[in-house]
Amino acid sequence: MVLEEAIPKFSQWIGPAFLWYLFAASLLAVIAAAASWLVQSAVYGPLQAGDRVYRGILSGVADLLGMSPRRIWALARLAIQESLRRNVLVVLALFAILVLFAGWFLDPTSVNPGKLYLGFILAATNFLVCLVTLILSVFSLPADFKAKAIQTVTTKPVRTGEIVLGRMLGFAIVGTALLAIMAAVGWGFVVRSVQHSHELLAEDVVEIRSDDGALAGFEGRTSLDRGHRHRIELAADGSGRTDHIQGHRHEIVASTAGGATTYRLGPPEGLLEARKPLRGTLRFLDREGRPSAKGISVGAEWSYRQYIEGGKLASAIWTFDGVTEADFPDELPLEMLVRVFRTHKGNIEKGIAGSVRVRNPTSGLQSDPHYFTAKEFTIDEWRIPRTLSTTTSDGGTKQVDLYRDIVSDGRVEVVLQCLEPAQYFGVAQADFYVRSGSGSFVWNYIKSCLGIWFSMLIVTALGVMFSTFLAGPVALLATLSVILVGQFREFIQRLFQSQVTGDSTIAPGGGPIESFYRLVTQTAITLDLEQTPFVAAMKGIDTVLLAPMRLGAGLFPSLSSLGTGDFVSGGFDIPADLIAAHATETFGYLLAFFIIGALCLRAREVAS
Amino acid sequence: MAAESRESGRAQDGDREVIVEARNLAKTYRDFWGRSKKVALKPLDLEIRRGEIFGLLGPNGSGKTTTMKLLLGLIFPTSGEAFVFGREATDVSKNERIGYLPEESYLYKFLDAEETLDFYGRLFDMPPEERKRRAAALIKMVGLERDRKRQLKEYSKGMTRRIGVAQALINDPELVLLDEPTSGLDPIGTREMKDLIIDLKKRGKTVIMSSHLLADVEDVCDRIAVLHQGELKELGRVEDLLRVTDVTQIRAKGLSAAAADEIRDVLRRHGGQDIEIGNPRTTLEDLFLDVVRDTEARPGRRARQG
Repeated sequence: MVLEEAIPKFSQWIGPAFLWYLFAASLLAVIAAAASWLVQSAVYGPLQAGDRVYRGILSGVADLLGMSPRRIWALARLAIQESLRRNVLVVLALFAILVLFAGWFLDPTSVNPGKLYLGFILAATNFLVCLVTLILSVFSLPADFKAKAIQTVTTKPVRTGEIVLGRMLGFAIVGTALLAIMAAVGWGFVVRSVQHSHELLAEDVVEIRSDDGALAGFEGRTSLDRGHRHRIELAADGSGRTDHIQGHRHEIVASTAGGATTYRLGPPEGLLEARKPLRGTLRFLDREGRPSAKGISVGAEWSYRQYIEGGKLASAIWTFDGVTEADFPDELPLEMLVRVFRTHKGNIEKGIAGSVRVRNPTSGLQSDPHYFTAKEFTIDEWRIPRTLSTTTSDGGTKQVDLYRDIVSDGRVEVVLQCLEPAQYFGVAQADFYVRSGSGSFVWNYIKSCLGIWFSMLIVTALGVMFSTFLAGPVALLATLSVILVGQFREFIQRLFQSQVTGDSTIAPGGGPIESFYRLVTQTAITLDLEQTPFVAAMKGIDTVLLAPMRLGAGLFPSLSSLGTGDFVSGGFDIPADLIAAHATETFGYLLAFFIIGALCLRAREVAS
Repeated sequence: MAAESRESGRAQDGDREVIVEARNLAKTYRDFWGRSKKVALKPLDLEIRRGEIFGLLGPNGSGKTTTMKLLLGLIFPTSGEAFVFGREATDVSKNERIGYLPEESYLYKFLDAEETLDFYGRLFDMPPEERKRRAAALIKMVGLERDRKRQLKEYSKGMTRRIGVAQALINDPELVLLDEPTSGLDPIGTREMKDLIIDLKKRGKTVIMSSHLLADVEDVCDRIAVLHQGELKELGRVEDLLRVTDVTQIRAKGLSAAAADEIRDVLRRHGGQDIEIGNPRTTLEDLFLDVVRDTEARPGRRARQG
């Protein structure tokens, strides 16, 4: 899975995040108060306008503090009743149809069907739940205004905060119920879709004998089911596992009765799992073996993966910290995803060969290489044994212990090299990790649904907030616009960083003016522009333009960053730190949208 | 005459608590750019005291509903102030003691009568038992017991009006504001509404109602304000405003024609001018109600002959 930035510890994240939130909230509050004063000054004069703004703030705070749970719940119930009377449950039928068609159209012979099914279900659930709550939330209050039903509500002792919060709560409950149902149905669909087994008949298994004629084991292949079959290699006692195809393998148990051997294959392993990775930091050596800030760019605009040249000294080196004997007493399970960039076709039947070795970061002592063939799109593994062989300076071989000789203070280096000249391995920091364990897949799935839930809450709150002062269709457009801008949040942040640091590799192509210039002159974004006064001026203007965009983008929620579907479909455990950060971020947005919505509704003439 | 009437009203009501007060209250509707679009209410000074039935009278667009909305805090004044129970009209807490029936009953059509009253009861933070009791009593009072489980979208206009009245009274308010309360009601409904308003007064409530139906206002209101083109034109007690001081009216039952002639002679002898003696006309409302009651009492028969 793609992980562009390391996930910070929640304890490290919350401090700066809270300060940024306070800064943004204070800035917005000051801007809102100043704008309100300016508008009222035009009507009432500056002094009376100041008094009105002051009294407005005081009574607004008093209203927020005087909210009643019973009234909020009454309004939430009303929102739920309204949703049900609007036949919101029809969306479940739509979801059921999608799932039925998915069974036909999703390819069970894909590289990783588990990922495919999970990705589809989570994306469909996310889209439908957010769409339904968006429509409900943006049209509800405007419909009340149009039908004037709001007048009978606001002439009761109801605070505007209660109207806004009640709406948000009601639609959030509807969305939560829909999400729970869809998630449960989706779970059943995924599990049923990926569950399968194969037959392994005795006649499909042949014995393997060693040179001295002793039985070394068995090999063979399973039946063809779900568009694939597995090769098997069994130990002499008949036990073993299949090979790893389509993201899974099966455990094999042999039993002999009456002289006949039967084989039974277990359920697929690896399709629905939650790996817990211990991640390291990545650095590179260039083709001469000198340290390099980055690998080679093969011209891809997305510079997530860096490449190392084959047949040279170019290496990708991960340093893992916290590797202890207590955690990994028998072996160190290393999992790796290696992409390949071919400059020539070579032997297309054969993968590109590479090597991995482990190295002591202090003494430099390294193991002999473990050779492998890059699988490109599936995760490979190397269970690093306790005892490793190393080549001594005199050309001999020596056995060393992983923890005594290679791991130093919990740190160990893993060195990757591509062995075939003119071919390249592409890797990112998250592609190599030590598997520190497995979490519960069910819990991981629920955590992924939490990500959808956070998105749904933000969409609902945003929709309700805009509907306090905009007509339904306009509120819909405004909400969609904010969501769209939010999707570019990370990009704008990277773009600004790139502009300020002058490092065009962070976000190639420059700001709006430079991008326009490149469009007109048909200059590729990967090409550096010649340093002329004109280009300098253009970049200067871009920096000025990007500063407010950076500030604004920081205020918008990025729903895609809240999504954790990639984790669960990629088979990785969603870190608790990430969930905690997302929950905090969501709560921060909800609070802000609620306050803005309550104040906007308060400032609005209900019966104008 | 207006000033005289005001003085008269104040003298009689001066010892009662002021419930509603408007000081220089004005409203101008503006467009998006802040330009004046319509002057809905010119500066208005008004005091309404506890226990009164106060009528806002005027033709369409005269500012009655605007005044009511300003008092409710539904819109904000362009200038001046409005106080209800001594609090600013925009103060939400005043609504605890207010009941409001809008011009059309703006209710949630997907709720039934019970759900509607339960919902509004919750908005008053009423505990469940009290909500249930009040809702049942009000549904009975407005005669919707048989239709209490029907969604409001299935209600006729009269039924919607009645459930609107019930929601306005859910909190047993001290002040009831009724915007065109008899609008859309048949004569029986109109009479029931007027009886209800008078009953509210008897129970010590203060009622403010707006109407352009002069007969309705005349029948129930203690005091009225006549608005025209957003301006207060007349304010005072109904009986003072309507009394014709230089004309004397004599009514009697069972009088013979000879007695009538004799009385006419007496009046003429005492200098009476433009003397009229004849049979008074009943109102069409009374006639209609008599017919309906008679028909209900004797089904299948024509109510009156000839």
